[in-house]
Amino acid sequence: MTAVRRSARWRAGGPLAGEGRWAAFFLAPTLLGLAVLSAGPILATLAISLTRWDLLTAPKVVGLDNYLALLSDDRFQKALRNTFFYTAVSVPVGLTIALGLALALNARIRGIAFIRTAYFLPVVTSTIAIALVWQWIYSADSGLLNQVLGVFGIPAQKWLSNPTLAMPSIIAMSIWQGLGVNVIIFLAGLQAIPADLLDAASVDGAGARARFRHVTLPLLTPTIFFTGVLSLIGSFQVFDQIFVLAKPKPTEATITVVYFIYENGFKFFKMGYASAASWILFLIVAAFTAVYFWSQSRWVHYQ
Amino acid sequence: MFTGRSEPGGTGRRLAALIGATAILASACGGTTATPSTGAPSTSAAAPASQPATSPSAAPSDAGYTGPEATISYSIWGDPQEIKNQQAIVDAFHAKVPQITVKVTVSDWEPYWDKLQTSIAGGDAPDVFAMDGPLFPDYQTRDVLLDLKPLIQRDGYDLGQLADQAVADFTTPDGQFGLPRDLNVVALYYNKKMFDTAGIPYPDDTWDWDKLVAVAKQLTLKDASGKTTQWGFYTESTDMENFWSELVWQSGGDIISADHKTSLVASDQAAAGLQFLQDLIWKHKVMPDAAITDALGDAFEQGQAAMEANGSWLVATHLAAGLDFGIAPLPKGPAGRATSINPTGAVVYKGTKNPDAAWAFVKYLASPEAQTKIMELKASLPANKDVLNGPFATSFDGAKVLADAIAYARIKPSFKGYNDWTTELQTELDANVFTEPKKTAKQALTDVLPKLDAILASQ
Repeated sequence: MTAVRRSARWRAGGPLAGEGRWAAFFLAPTLLGLAVLSAGPILATLAISLTRWDLLTAPKVVGLDNYLALLSDDRFQKALRNTFFYTAVSVPVGLTIALGLALALNARIRGIAFIRTAYFLPVVTSTIAIALVWQWIYSADSGLLNQVLGVFGIPAQKWLSNPTLAMPSIIAMSIWQGLGVNVIIFLAGLQAIPADLLDAASVDGAGARARFRHVTLPLLTPTIFFTGVLSLIGSFQVFDQIFVLAKPKPTEATITVVYFIYENGFKFFKMGYASAASWILFLIVAAFTAVYFWSQSRWVHYQ
Repeated sequence: MFTGRSEPGGTGRRLAALIGATAILASACGGTTATPSTGAPSTSAAAPASQPATSPSAAPSDAGYTGPEATISYSIWGDPQEIKNQQAIVDAFHAKVPQITVKVTVSDWEPYWDKLQTSIAGGDAPDVFAMDGPLFPDYQTRDVLLDLKPLIQRDGYDLGQLADQAVADFTTPDGQFGLPRDLNVVALYYNKKMFDTAGIPYPDDTWDWDKLVAVAKQLTLKDASGKTTQWGFYTESTDMENFWSELVWQSGGDIISADHKTSLVASDQAAAGLQFLQDLIWKHKVMPDAAITDALGDAFEQGQAAMEANGSWLVATHLAAGLDFGIAPLPKGPAGRATSINPTGAVVYKGTKNPDAAWAFVKYLASPEAQTKIMELKASLPANKDVLNGPFATSFDGAKVLADAIAYARIKPSFKGYNDWTTELQTELDANVFTEPKKTAKQALTDVLPKLDAILASQ
């Protein structure tokens, strides 16, 4: 957000001048951690992706074979398709619901703290506990959802085993689970909007809808951009919901790219293949994020 | 509740998997990059050092260990009950051989294998660890297991005291790479009360497939609205061991060729076995489908199914559930009688610094003393024949049926690439044969066959 502009100023003064030196000092631990714990392994997987390696015997260099094989791997393509679907639905729907909730919660009413806490609770609850509850909700036999639908005469659905419903069911749980984080960030964004701007708009005769459309929403775009990036990257890496909810194993309708990577690396003794898949995912995420960053000049308004 | 994610779907392992998922998630959620950390590249090729120097001074006899003091690690998967039991065995061993201390580390089924692989890759594997029969070749062929043959010969250890198929599962042309610790067979459980209420005689060794279907139909009850309130039959379709490999053998088919290069599941006989299972669910409607099982768990254990074809690992769970049940042999198929036997082995890491101590412990695990403790747990059958055919056979109602089943049991397929191959096959079966009857078994198996053989070819 504002980091973009600050870095420009920093460069103007020279990276080691005054403030910059302190910045470098404070950044060092994080950068070191990133280099050792992230950059190192990431580069290692690049090397591993060019090998046939079972983790237990010496790797054999195979060039781009893993990448070529992935292109014609049915299961990988299904995993990619499912992951795209998951992202395409969960990010926009999740953000829209979160924004709506944040607007509703940005009010001075009694018990607001309690309500805000309630929405944040799923975020700090373990996915295992959440998945257990949702398994019961989705249960085909006597699940909560089917019982409620039954009251309205709607026949029971096999939420998690019907290939058409399985992924949407998992997405619904994920959105609910991740809502709290986005709501909190949106709330912070809303509260940073100066009241005098909204007051001025009111004086000029703007109604609630116009105030939202022309004042609140433009000033909230940096926040939307930020939550969008986090959600986008997180969605492409979806794993835990699949791991716990898709029983006993993900099917063709629910396998995602990260699950595919885990399965190949640790179950099928194909670490090179898994590394190649993770690089393809990395490139996809990087490309989407780059396009998203590039797009911000068109719709994100910094104050 | 959760149904088994594990390969051999046991309830204990199933529960364990649930808890174990936590551990995975803890690590899975930590990362913000798209890449799994596969460890530093320098940790490649584990290179477990040289053949162990079997010190000539050490240990001749079965019980006696005269080597130096040693601490060895022993890794297992298991549920809390199993862990307690293994710890008791370890304690008894230490009391007998005070020079050796055994440290037990326990994981749940899924993370067990993840951890094992990374610890071997890092050259830091446990000295002794539990090995699932079907996955054994994936490790043995990668040269990370110690050949016990020299030690067996040195001590004159008699392999004949252990169940033959179970021993053979860890034998290769290169040597003997483990001893069976315990084993499981599959049989037919029946709920005595449901049979008594319906006035139907209990299943016995005269039963065949037709009889199974006929009785299962009689014992499937519906309420006024047509909802099934009691199922005649239950099994798990998500792993071959629970029932479908047995059906394939009973109808004269086979799973994979002896050289592990050709998949045989698409033959007419093999397909007939899988078709029988699909028919139990979708044609005869005597067994709950996967969606109901996902929700309900083990219908037999819930007291909602009259019969269950499943593994001997369920005895303790069914007893704990308070069921009044009996055990009969699996019904005969068109080609006769067959069941599945699947041992868990104790294997030694090739890079161990204490091969003698590890071997002494592995021997102890297979000894009548330790095997009696395994028998008491009722979570699997002892691998030691003295215990198996002696005290075990009378240890609970139906135990003899299980012990006798070994005579006609076939080993659960065990080959390199097992996980990859079964995932491909089971995904096809689950989606198109069992969860929904979109294809006949023959059609699904024919469709998936090229992929299966491609996996075998790539091993």
